[in-house]
Amino acid sequence: MNDDNNNNQPKTKLNFRSPLFWSRRPNSESIMLRLPTVGRALAGAAKGSLAPSTTVHTSMRAASNMVEVFVDGKPVEVEPGTTVLQACEKAGIQIPRFCYHERLSVAGNCRMCLVEIEKAPKPVAACAMPVMKGWNILTNSEKTRKAREGVMEFLLANHPLDCPICDQGGECDLQDQSMQFGSDRSRFTEGKRAVEDKNIGPLIKTIMTRCIQCTRCVRFASEIAGVEDLGTTGRGNNLQIGTYVEKMFMSELSGNVIDVCPVGALTSKPYAFTARPWETRKTESIDVLDAVGSNIVVSTRGGEVMRVMPRLNEDVNEEWISDKTRFSYDGLKRQRLTQPMVKDDSGQLTPTTWEDALTRIAGALQSVQGSEVAAIAGGLAEAEALISLKDLLNRLDSENLCTEEVFPMAGAGTDLRSNYLLNSRIAGIEECDLLLLIGTNPRYEAPMFNARVRKSWLHNELRVAMVGHNVDLSYTYDHLGEDTSVLKELANGTHPFCQVLSAAKRPVVVVGSGALQRDDGAAILSVVSTIAQNARTSSGVEEGWKVLNVLHRVASQVAALDLGYKAGVDAIRKNPPKVLFLLGADAGCITRADLPKDSLIIYQGHHGDVGAPMADIILPGAAYTEKNATYVNTEGRSQHTRVAVTPPGAAREDWKIIRAVSELAGVTLPYDSLDEVRSRLAEVSPHLVRYDDVEEANYFKQANELAMAVNQDLIAAPLIPPQLTVKDFYMTDSISRASQTMAKCVKAVTEGAAAVDEPSVC
Amino acid sequence: MAASLVRFVRGGLGRSIHVVRNSCLLQQQARLQSSTTENRPTVRPSDAVTHNKLAAFGEYVAEIMPKYIQQVQVTCYNELELMIHPDGVIPVLTFLKDHTNAQFRNMIDLTAVDVPTRQNRFEIVYNFLSLRYNSRIRVKTYTDELTPVDSAVPVHKAANWYEREVWDMFGVFFANHPDLRRILTDYGFEGHPFRKDFPLSGYVEVRYDDEVKRMVAEPVELSQEFRKFDLNTPWEVFPAYREPKEAAPKLEAGDQAPEKK
Amino acid sequence: MASTAAARTAAGAAKVVKPIFSRDLDEAKRRVRELYRAWYREIPHTVSIFQLDITNRQGRDKLREMFNQNKHVTDPRVIDMLVIKSKMELEETIKVWKQKTHVMRYFKETEEPRPTDFLSKFYQGHDP
Repeated sequence: MNDDNNNNQPKTKLNFRSPLFWSRRPNSESIMLRLPTVGRALAGAAKGSLAPSTTVHTSMRAASNMVEVFVDGKPVEVEPGTTVLQACEKAGIQIPRFCYHERLSVAGNCRMCLVEIEKAPKPVAACAMPVMKGWNILTNSEKTRKAREGVMEFLLANHPLDCPICDQGGECDLQDQSMQFGSDRSRFTEGKRAVEDKNIGPLIKTIMTRCIQCTRCVRFASEIAGVEDLGTTGRGNNLQIGTYVEKMFMSELSGNVIDVCPVGALTSKPYAFTARPWETRKTESIDVLDAVGSNIVVSTRGGEVMRVMPRLNEDVNEEWISDKTRFSYDGLKRQRLTQPMVKDDSGQLTPTTWEDALTRIAGALQSVQGSEVAAIAGGLAEAEALISLKDLLNRLDSENLCTEEVFPMAGAGTDLRSNYLLNSRIAGIEECDLLLLIGTNPRYEAPMFNARVRKSWLHNELRVAMVGHNVDLSYTYDHLGEDTSVLKELANGTHPFCQVLSAAKRPVVVVGSGALQRDDGAAILSVVSTIAQNARTSSGVEEGWKVLNVLHRVASQVAALDLGYKAGVDAIRKNPPKVLFLLGADAGCITRADLPKDSLIIYQGHHGDVGAPMADIILPGAAYTEKNATYVNTEGRSQHTRVAVTPPGAAREDWKIIRAVSELAGVTLPYDSLDEVRSRLAEVSPHLVRYDDVEEANYFKQANELAMAVNQDLIAAPLIPPQLTVKDFYMTDSISRASQTMAKCVKAVTEGAAAVDEPSVC
Repeated sequence: MAASLVRFVRGGLGRSIHVVRNSCLLQQQARLQSSTTENRPTVRPSDAVTHNKLAAFGEYVAEIMPKYIQQVQVTCYNELELMIHPDGVIPVLTFLKDHTNAQFRNMIDLTAVDVPTRQNRFEIVYNFLSLRYNSRIRVKTYTDELTPVDSAVPVHKAANWYEREVWDMFGVFFANHPDLRRILTDYGFEGHPFRKDFPLSGYVEVRYDDEVKRMVAEPVELSQEFRKFDLNTPWEVFPAYREPKEAAPKLEAGDQAPEKK
Repeated sequence: MASTAAARTAAGAAKVVKPIFSRDLDEAKRRVRELYRAWYREIPHTVSIFQLDITNRQGRDKLREMFNQNKHVTDPRVIDMLVIKSKMELEETIKVWKQKTHVMRYFKETEEPRPTDFLSKFYQGHDP
């Protein structure tokens, strides 16, 4: 980063290893936002081009600044400082590469991207060489091909020929590119190098002999994950990637190195030897284990989920996913509810038929008053089930619909959507210059959000401050204290940090939903809203900029609040119902003790976790890989999952179960198909079916004014988010609690990686 | 022009041993030449002499029957193909069978190809062998689901069962066939399995039913997942470097047959 | 008369097509009637030869039903094609190339009708 100031000449040597460099990909969609960084990082010429204060003549300068190069004789206009590889990409030609990754810094050590430049004495590494005016890049010339073939031969000299037993087989960059660019003969007769495998935890299997030292994993760990666990030792033929001392690769994003690794050196331990990529079926879906809604691809084979991989979405998760998202899929096969069950006279849950279970429920619903029926929605419930449950209870004359997760209903409460959304959006973090976190631990509550903060902190010099417990985030921050009194001081301007806050040009305030679970949640929200409102006025930022944000932890919450569910189970505790319907409610907010003796509890969900054992009737539902379901993430972005496998046993899609109950109870819901449910969703709230589109929320000022009316007394207890360290991260919901892999992670974190070491087969 | 062609064909097809030996020499030379220019062992060397000979014969046939032969081509593997109008099946086949210079008296194969995107989706393919000249020829014509094609049985007795097979598998009706009925499928079978729109799993599955004490056929319900392999790499592929597909076999001039007859 | 007019308009609209057997709809209809009669007369023999557990009445109802399934077809070439295939089946039946199971397949005794209302679909399976 030290070339920020002293690198003002356009043609001076550029530091391509600087982490700042990579963010200036010319084809990046958010280039407008990132270019000020580019200006700082690179040439003075590029600097003025997009700074907001400068005027027309700079843009003219920018236009004339474009460098014309030729790719195989075809002219391309690129910005100065573009690498040869990026220029070729712009011309639609991909250069083979191993070490280069567009989201990581440039290392330039694999040499696979060598290309010939006309009139240059020797081939150049395309990923690290900036283009010069008038260069003619020959991507398929004799010399280029020969260079690739030579590099490939050297790479294969030490690479074992174990493709048939390698888990990367079929999706291996080395395999693909050696087929495409390598020689078909081998001249290497000497022995191959062998490297000892490292144990870096229960998730990542290492076969280090296969490593080609591209250092993508090292760069990923230090740049994206923010843990300096991986590194290289030795040099030359003895260069090894590893942790130096045996230790676990302790990051919530560690699984991504499997995707990043171009060969089979780092593969997935749970997935090892289970499937080949060409025989699996890929279903594009959404993750629901946190509120971010990462885009995923579910690979299935023979009606079984084999693995979960990330799917590119620049606005949400870029191309990473957290370990919980990636590895907790084995929880989908364990502890599942596969048959309807009812409690018999001896208090045992016994399997029964759908007819029996549904008739019993219908009888119970018909025998009580409407107001004596209540429902609680859990964290994994989807919008379709939520709307059918709400319609069912409304038809029975009941309004007692709650979510497990608490959100303050006082003041504007959930009436104004801006009150409960991450209004700035995840991608918006890249534009802000000051981030104030309140009572949250984004690293474990929303790892993808945290990765975005780290990216911005690294490349855009974002300043982060925190009120709440002093947790270990993957970036440094100003810790302002963990008491609620700090919030008061920040709100009335007496805290020293207020000066920084008021000097910020684009401030963002994020309050964790964990902080709002407390009894004084309403007061905290009100104070935070005041802080945000003050920061907004002092910064003078334009009208569209959102300051107040809420970071949720469960996937269903935003959709439930959008549909008009009441947040929190207080109402049920105060007014115990005779029939309680739990829709995947596994947080244990309500127990038998809170209800009268003769009350009937119906549990509908997919796992026998916390909610099911106390129920009288159990209806087996579908998990998120087994249904077409709409989820709204913490930004208010509606996305939907797709059916990857069929639900196990007699389990059914959730909205269908509720629809069947309604028919037997005599209040048939007016929808029979998924499309009809979705059009009902659109009736209630049209944004729920406008997929991948974020509906803007507003009325911050009004919300703040309304919040003033609530009781402002804060409890003195410190703000401590529920997930403090990495061991709290792995098991948070019924799916990840059923997962053996996640249990192994917890064990490895607490007792060391050696505790879960299994004798390796290969 | 035609006369010279005839002479060439006669010579080429072996009346004079001298000429044959010459052509063999020529052939060898051509092989040697091609091996010097093309040293990739996997690529089949082009055989110019055979190619020219076949092309000349094709042109000769096309000139004699311009009404029916629409196109003549020689494939990269030196196979002569005649594309004819469906009305011309009997005349062309008779000509090829009986003409002194052709003598294609053996029907080796008759089959069909389904290309649903074409207007005439079925391509009927006839393969013949001339024992007299040690030569093979392929005749292709076309039809759709409802247009009958003249049966080749009056010319070649061997066509009988082949045409029954094409009728059974593709549903192409052959007019004037002596005994056109199913040959491979079960009695009561519905549909034509070699059509591209026939599902790979079929429409019905058969099982023994204990209640009615006989085999029953029911609409198919797959109890196992249908296996389908996805052979694209999920990561990087380099389409720019993929060599363009080999160009379609070059069409030799032939007689530019008019579109409609 | 109407049929000839239809045939004329069809001929005018599309290109002239090669008929399979019938030149117009009337001729095709005649072939269908002949086929129907042939089947109708064959049914008692079929029932006795194959020892079917049905009455002639049931067989004839089935025959009528199956002809009615295609009553919307008006293209003489399609009609001809259906007639050809049906004649083939008739021959297989008359000559007892078929077995009892093939004949009884027309009656689809063992097939359960697919559920149409929501609840029975729900009871039956995941996605019927």
